Amino acid sequence: MVSKKVTVCNAQGFHMRPATVFAGEMGKFQSDVTLEHNGNAVNAKSLMNIIAACIKCGHEINVVCNGPDEQAALDKAVAMIEAGLGE
Amino acid sequence: MSALRGIGASAGVGIGVVLKYEDAPPTYTPHAVEDVVAERQRLDAALARFREETEQLAKRMDETGADGAILRGHIAMVDDPFLREQLQNELEGGSCAEQALATVCDLFISIFSGADDELTKQRAADVADIKTHVLKLLLGVKSVDLKALPENTVLLVEELTPSMTAALDRPHVAAILTEKGGKTSHSAILSRALKIPAVLSIPGALSALENGETVIVDGETGEVFPAPDAALRAQYTEKRQQLREKAAREEAFRGKPTQTADGDPRKVYANIGTPADIDAVLAGDAEGVGLFRTEFLFLDRTAAPDEDEQFDAYQKVALAMRGKEVIIRTLDVGGDKAIPYLGMKREENPFLGFRAVRYCLAHEALYRTQLRAILRASAFGNVCIMIPLVTSLSELLRVRALVGELQAELRAENVAFDENIRIGVMIETPAACLIADLLAKHADFFSIGTNDLTGYIMAADRGNADVGYLYTVYHPAVLRAIQHIIASARQAGIPCGMCGEAAADETLIPLLVAFGLEEFSVNPASALSTRARIAEQSAARCKLIAAGALQLTTAEEVEQYLRREARQNRACGRGVKSEE
Repeated sequence: MVSKKVTVCNAQGFHMRPATVFAGEMGKFQSDVTLEHNGNAVNAKSLMNIIAACIKCGHEINVVCNGPDEQAALDKAVAMIEAGLGE
Repeated sequence: MSALRGIGASAGVGIGVVLKYEDAPPTYTPHAVEDVVAERQRLDAALARFREETEQLAKRMDETGADGAILRGHIAMVDDPFLREQLQNELEGGSCAEQALATVCDLFISIFSGADDELTKQRAADVADIKTHVLKLLLGVKSVDLKALPENTVLLVEELTPSMTAALDRPHVAAILTEKGGKTSHSAILSRALKIPAVLSIPGALSALENGETVIVDGETGEVFPAPDAALRAQYTEKRQQLREKAAREEAFRGKPTQTADGDPRKVYANIGTPADIDAVLAGDAEGVGLFRTEFLFLDRTAAPDEDEQFDAYQKVALAMRGKEVIIRTLDVGGDKAIPYLGMKREENPFLGFRAVRYCLAHEALYRTQLRAILRASAFGNVCIMIPLVTSLSELLRVRALVGELQAELRAENVAFDENIRIGVMIETPAACLIADLLAKHADFFSIGTNDLTGYIMAADRGNADVGYLYTVYHPAVLRAIQHIIASARQAGIPCGMCGEAAADETLIPLLVAFGLEEFSVNPASALSTRARIAEQSAARCKLIAAGALQLTTAEEVEQYLRREARQNRACGRGVKSEE
């Protein structure tokens, strides 16, 4: 299991469009990807879970990956969030 | 059955058969399931069909210049692994497909709508849409297919929405009827743009009219006649024919310069909401774009468009108009056009609140992005900037300074733009009207926004049925304001246009000509008829009509007087024609 803390930096946080792209990318990995936010564990492969979590700009989240390709999944997730989720 | 009455919002006569289009979730009775695998297959098939239909609609929206991304988000939602897992759990627990879908959707609707965040709350509506659509597919409830309607359909809806319009099978629609929406609502603007006769705000229309019933719709008077007898049918078939002939006469003005009967030149421009409307502008033969509303770029999406995306839209219009004037109005956000992702607060009184240029000047980064995009587009055509809701000279001066800064920025970056771009003021508040002389010294042009100006002067909400009667451009207060604004512009030597609905009102045209209005910016579909009306006006006659109108004391008197004059003028016009 690997993990890393990142801060969400795009203005609107994880709203519909970035969440859709992000969940889609995470779905390509075999590992489980979880976003720990406000004491909740959010399934990063689920758009609906991400939306329900209300992750906003400036929030710190802990990305946890667990599985055969966990390092690759973590790198991708962190890179996407740090790049502002494509916005 | 006697005639129904509503607001005549798009002129023309339509004779056809009623078809109701409703978007409420269908009802179902949960049933026991014996074969879970088969039930799962039934649900999967419905979801697959949902994906297919939604993707098609998204494509259609992309083609019409709207944003299909929201609909594609719906596909991502039904593909969500967590949602699928919940559905599976429901099915294994013995629920039928309908019940499983409703339970899971309702769960998300309650989670999202309970969130303490506007963007998340909005997603509840998306899930509700998905629920309705998939339930219809599961139950085999035929939702009316707007893309393939029978000939001569009179479409009856609660309210016409932009997404319905995107899907609409135009040639087969004889008329549109709605229960909601006033003369300046989206339903009205859309139906006029589509040139489909429309009567709006008919109380109880959805229950009063039956599917399959034949009706006659008069989009001018706002009358709807159910089950017409042969005599009435003949009368309206004749009227429809006359209107078609009138349209044919107006065709004669295509490609001609706009001028009064005395040869005094004027201009007919068009109002647009998206780059896709340019086709209608060119088809309508307008000489420029007098109002390019930019809010539509910001609506129905989840984040503000960036500079490049805005530039693309503005450049597209500038190029398509080939050097003809394009007046771009900067973001007119707020009021009835709240854009949720901008994080605007709910206001007690949005029309007197934080909106348009007030909001933009307080959110400079957003405004800079838009102004830079407009400046960049100005290198590709004849582009002007128009500032909405100005009440003080300082607002105009601040925008001017901002544009100056951005021009310096672009110059340093070697990006092309128009050094002499004109910056004008949309005059739509009583304050701007009363200081029109002061504004005119610093503005390159005026454009009178009669829709909001009328509302603010009369202190009456056009959408409020109880006070809507006060909202009339024929009121002496509104007419005096218009006269004063035009006179102030002329005194300062700057051009004055009008981009509200009033510019296309044929009874008002003599008055506007007499006041000295130079540019009439109208719905693209009204451009030719406006040019034809202007051609009928002589300076002497217009002066007489204006003098007469300004002596009257009530809106009713003014309206009756102007209607009478217009009828007489029309009769004269036909007389002259028959002598030729």
